[in-house]
Amino acid sequence: MHPNMKPMFLADVEKNPKRSAQADVIRQMQNANSEYPQILHLFAYHPHATQHLTRFTRQVMREQSVLSEGFRELIAAYTSARNHCLF
Amino acid sequence: MPHIKLPPGLPGISGLMVYRPDTAKPMNELAHALLRGTESLTAGERELIATFVSSLNDCHYCQSIHGAVAAYHLGIDEDLVRAVKANYQAADISAKLKSLLRIAEKVWHSGKEVDLSDIQNARQQDASDLEIHDAVLIAAAFSMFNRYVDGLATWQPDNPDFYRSRGGVVARDGYLNLKRDPVAFR
Repeated sequence: MHPNMKPMFLADVEKNPKRSAQADVIRQMQNANSEYPQILHLFAYHPHATQHLTRFTRQVMREQSVLSEGFRELIAAYTSARNHCLF
Repeated sequence: MPHIKLPPGLPGISGLMVYRPDTAKPMNELAHALLRGTESLTAGERELIATFVSSLNDCHYCQSIHGAVAAYHLGIDEDLVRAVKANYQAADISAKLKSLLRIAEKVWHSGKEVDLSDIQNARQQDASDLEIHDAVLIAAAFSMFNRYVDGLATWQPDNPDFYRSRGGVVARDGYLNLKRDPVAFR
């Protein structure tokens, strides 16, 4: 594990990524001994539920809208900052 | 009056879902994946967590509809739903569910407040990683749904019979392919 990273609260979540795009990224990052965001583990743990969050996010953030993608990301970044969520 | 023009007669999130079907679909699928019973948490327990978080967020529609669905799953026990909302520590529910509601309460306020002692407490009550995971995701997702419903000032009926009748349908059919019939009474 990269020295900047701490173990997650839930070991099962961290140790058991299911087959998913996120699991592939986790493996690549671990093999390269890189630091990576653990939200990847959340999305790889129970894709049965979280695949819908991925599709929701894509729909809200990327699909055609009157708001530009950049502006939508600014809203997301501002809200995350207010919630003190660094990632 | 809703802040934006929504289809009439569809209360709470249902009007929003008709208004924006593209985002409604994954939201309903997420709700279905999180709230239906599994070999770990029952549908009644999952709906109780959703109802509890919605009541902390003071979302009338969400706590009423999910409270009604929870009551159906729990053998039409509206008193138990009320007891969980009023003081879950004193309610007649398992120690495991109490430990998960404690985590949900912290997630509602700020995810950063969940600490190792909360996780250890839940584990001592036999909660699995998947159950802790699902409790956190239900609490986080409902904080989103509650803000979505109230942030656009959707119409939310007072009549408890609306929620009882709708709750029975949702308890039976789940969240996929729900019919969005306008409500006749207001």
